Order: sequence, then C-alpha cells, then structure tokens
Amino acid sequence: MFDQLTEIIVNYVEVKKEDIKPESRFIEDLGFTSFDFMSMLGEVEDVLDVEVNEEEVVNIRTVQEAVDYLSELTA
Amino acid sequence: MGISMNELRSTIYELLIKAQEAYGTRDAIRYKVKEAGTGGKKETKVESRTYTQLREDSERFSAALDQLGEQGKHIAILGTSSYSWITAYYGIVNGGSVAVPLDANLPAEDLCELINRADVRVLVYDETKANVALMAKQQCPDLARLVAMEQSTVSDALSMWDLIARAPGWDGNQPKPEDLATIMFTSGTTGKSKGVMLTHRNLAENATALDMGYEPGTVLLSVLPIHHAYCLSMDILKGTSVGAVICINDSLLRVAKNIKLFEPNMILMVPLMVETLAKKLEEVSFIPAPLVKAKVFGKQFHTVCSGGAYLNPAFINLFKKYDITILQGYGMTECAPVISTNCNSAKKDGSIGRCMPNCEVKIVEEEIWVKGSSVMQGYYKMPEETAETLEDGWLKTGDLGYVDEEGFLFLTGRKKNLIITPNGENVSPEEIENKLGETRLVQEVLVRDDGGVIEAEIFPDLEYASKKKIKDLQAALQEVIDEYNKTAPLYKRVFKLKIRDVEFEKNTTKKIKRF
Repeated sequence: MFDQLTEIIVNYVEVKKEDIKPESRFIEDLGFTSFDFMSMLGEVEDVLDVEVNEEEVVNIRTVQEAVDYLSELTA
Repeated sequence: MGISMNELRSTIYELLIKAQEAYGTRDAIRYKVKEAGTGGKKETKVESRTYTQLREDSERFSAALDQLGEQGKHIAILGTSSYSWITAYYGIVNGGSVAVPLDANLPAEDLCELINRADVRVLVYDETKANVALMAKQQCPDLARLVAMEQSTVSDALSMWDLIARAPGWDGNQPKPEDLATIMFTSGTTGKSKGVMLTHRNLAENATALDMGYEPGTVLLSVLPIHHAYCLSMDILKGTSVGAVICINDSLLRVAKNIKLFEPNMILMVPLMVETLAKKLEEVSFIPAPLVKAKVFGKQFHTVCSGGAYLNPAFINLFKKYDITILQGYGMTECAPVISTNCNSAKKDGSIGRCMPNCEVKIVEEEIWVKGSSVMQGYYKMPEETAETLEDGWLKTGDLGYVDEEGFLFLTGRKKNLIITPNGENVSPEEIENKLGETRLVQEVLVRDDGGVIEAEIFPDLEYASKKKIKDLQAALQEVIDEYNKTAPLYKRVFKLKIRDVEFEKNTTKKIKRF
C-alpha cells in the first residue's frame, strides 16, 4: 500500500519517491496543497476501487495515516 | 443553440421565472446518484431536473413555508451543493423569506452561534449535518423548526420533499428588488464573522448585468462551495439566467472524475484548483496539446473563470496553450460578489477586468471603492462595522489598486489585515492568534500567510516553560498547533510554525507591528 501510494504522490508534488517516508506530512513536508491532496485521494479511489469519505480524510496528516486509512477501506 | 438571453433581472424571482419561460424543458441541474447495480456493487448514474421542475419544486417549497407560517422569516440552509439545496434557496427567497447559507465545514458550535446571530427560525439541512441540527435544537432558542433535505433521523424534523409533495402551487406576493434576500457570513478582520445583507436587486443584477456571451445549454460544472457568494451568484444565479446546465460536483475528491462524467464547457474555480489542474496538464505535456486537453478536460471544454484570490498570470498563458481561456475576475461578498471581470470581449493581461456595468469604481488613497446596485445593505446587526465599510453608498473594499486609461482594474495589495487563501477563503489572523494565545505557553503570536499556507510565529512564555519543565519547546508548541488544527476547518489550519527567542516589536499602542 505504501508503495502504491508513493507512486501516485509523485504525480502531484515535486518529490522523489525515495524521499517519501511514512512520517512525511503531506502539506508541511511534501508540499501538497489541500486541493492536491483531495485530488490525489480521488485518484486513489479509482486505483484501489474504494470510496473515500471527504469528512474523514481532512484529518489525515501523514503518509502512514493515509496508508492506515486506506488499508482499512480495502480490508 | 438558441438565442442568448442577457436581460437585466432585478429580483431572483424574475430571474428564475424568465429562465423557466425560455428554457422550460431543458435541463437546469444535473447530479450524480448512486444505485445498487449488478453484483451488489454501487453504480453511478446521472439524473437531471428541468427548468420547469426547478421552478415548480421551489414554488411548492415557498408554499410549504407559507403554510407553516414561516414565510418572511430567516431560514438557514446547511449542506453541500445539491438539487435540494438549490430548490430550497429559490423557494426561500422567492417566497419572500431571507436565506442564510451556512458553511458546512464549520464546527457545530460555530454554526449554532451563527444561527442565533442571524435570528434564524428554520434550519434546512442535509443528513450529513444531522449532528448540527441536534445541537441547534438545544442551543438555539429562536429556532422553531428543522427541515431535513432527505428523510430525517432527527426527531420532529420535517422532510423537505414531503412538504413539497403535499404543498399547493405558489401564488403569493412577488418579492421586490429592495427586499432582503440573503444574509451571507464572511470573515471579519477582528475575527468575528459578519452577516452581509444582500437584497434581490444586489444578487439578481450582479448575476445578470454583464453579458458574458454564454449560450443557452452551456454545461457548467459547479465545484465551489455553494454557501459562497461567488458560487451562488455566478454558477447558480447566472447559470440559471442564461439557461445553462448546472452540473453538481459531489466532492472535491472527484473533480477530475466529474469532468469526465459531465463533460462541462466551463468551470468556475479558485486559484488553488487552477494550480492543481495545471500540474495535470503538464504531467502529460509530452503529447500534443489538443490530446492533453481532451484527456484532462475533454474536447468540449473552453473556459475557466477564476476568482476569490489572486491568480498568477503564468497559469493564464499555460492554459492558453491548451486552447482554454482563463477569465480572471475580482469581487467580495459585500458586492454580491463580482466587482470586475475579464470577459471574451474585453480582457487584459494582469488585470482583473473592467468594472461591472451596474457599478462604478473610484480610487481613494490607493484603495478601491465601489458604488452601484450590487453593493450590500450593510452587516446584519453590526452598525459600527457597516459605518466603517460604507460611506455615502461607496463600499470600501480594503484592496489597493488602480484603473488604467482603458478602464481595466489592477490590484496592487491589501489595506486590511486579512489572509486570502488560494481557495478564496478569507481568514482573520486575529481569530487564529486569539485561539492560539489562549494557551499559557504562548506569550505572543502572529499569524500570516506564507506562500499560500498559514504560518504562526510564536514567542513562548519562557518562564512558564521552565516552571513546567518543558524542554522541547518545538514539540510542545507544535502540540498547541495540532490541538487547534483538530477542530479548525481545513482552510483555517496552521501548517507552519516559527519560534522566536525575543519579543515582537511593538508600536506605540503596544500592538505587535505586523509589517
């Protein structure tokens, strides 16, 4: 899941795949805007075939938190 | 294609009725619904409602409010964009009541405070906001009724669609241009949001004064929050007046998908969205431009209107490569909201366009002042703030700028201390400073915009820190910020922290010097 997510992240921000850590924060560390973040999760919905809840994801800060949230959806 | 109708309308009632008479059986609104498909998997379907259905449903809602004895009162609408939201809005204002659109992202306590402050009698809400309805029932003594847009889970809430199904046709009085139609809340520099009072004339004339050259049947995808003046006036009211097909984006997560689904000709955006979509275009820039455009926006797409915040002109040129026009405009809720905009017949690089035909602009000590039929009546129950903002009918915008010899307006800066985020939200630094300052560890704090994100610079109370044996100040202050962020809406969150080891420089009145 982590690998799948980093593949998608690099399409939204200028950061190398190997520099993305589980503890990286989307906005503060990776340079996402709030709308980049939403758009990325929209793409993730298609890749993983899940439905993401907008109200829940606004509290995701780090890559690990996103991995945890998405893992739960695919479980 | 038909004849474009761009006549001035002076009430929202007139705007809807004339549109229905001209475009009756055409689609007014399209939206997504999820249905159980084969194998238990949900399938997405597009449904639509015509201009005639929109008129009839909204008139029935006017009649239903009248039967309940609530017509003429203040009625709040809480929820994201939907056919029900739009029906409720037209039903409220066209029956002679005052609509109070609320920001669905605010915490429930803040929403209850706004409901009380705007003297709201009825709350129309969508099911995702049932928690707010429950809280409002306890905390808002003047709130007499709850109306759920879907079947409600809250006891004694009425169902909007049951009311509409049972209501007779509407034959009440038509609202007059000078009647109050809407109270919209906007961020104030002092931190307390202000209720902007807009009449039918303010909104209807702002939406119809300028012929933007839209053809009837133009497909718009509405992606901005509907409680904002820009979306309500330019997507919904203007869209209705020209016979557009207004498509509803169900979530900011799915803008790219919904572009493919609805195949719009144009979208109203804030700069934040333009930036993200620019990246999408550039990502596949190695293939020919027409193919890139077809992949990201579809061949039929031609125009982006950008407003709410400053857009870097580089994006306008970038989109031009893909045969997409970005028209930059400028406005504020207090002007219902458009003050000036570029349009196909009159545009200029770096400018925010010419002033709307129903308004005039003058520059007073560099500040832009506006007068005309879209300027608000004042702030609801805030006479002092109203007097500070309106002078002899002129609205002081707080923005600095100039007008060139051809009448194009240019922005140069801001007078008021207000952060305009790239998604067009106005944030008061004082409001965040006051919240962060409630913590003992924070002695002084200054909040500002830093490259599109909100930064807090904090001078900690070092004495308190040593008394409490706090060693890692960075971590402790980050915790303060995290705690604040937990309840703040996304656009008000602080994403950068800077720590000072000396006090801030003060001016003679002991206030922190901002600049």
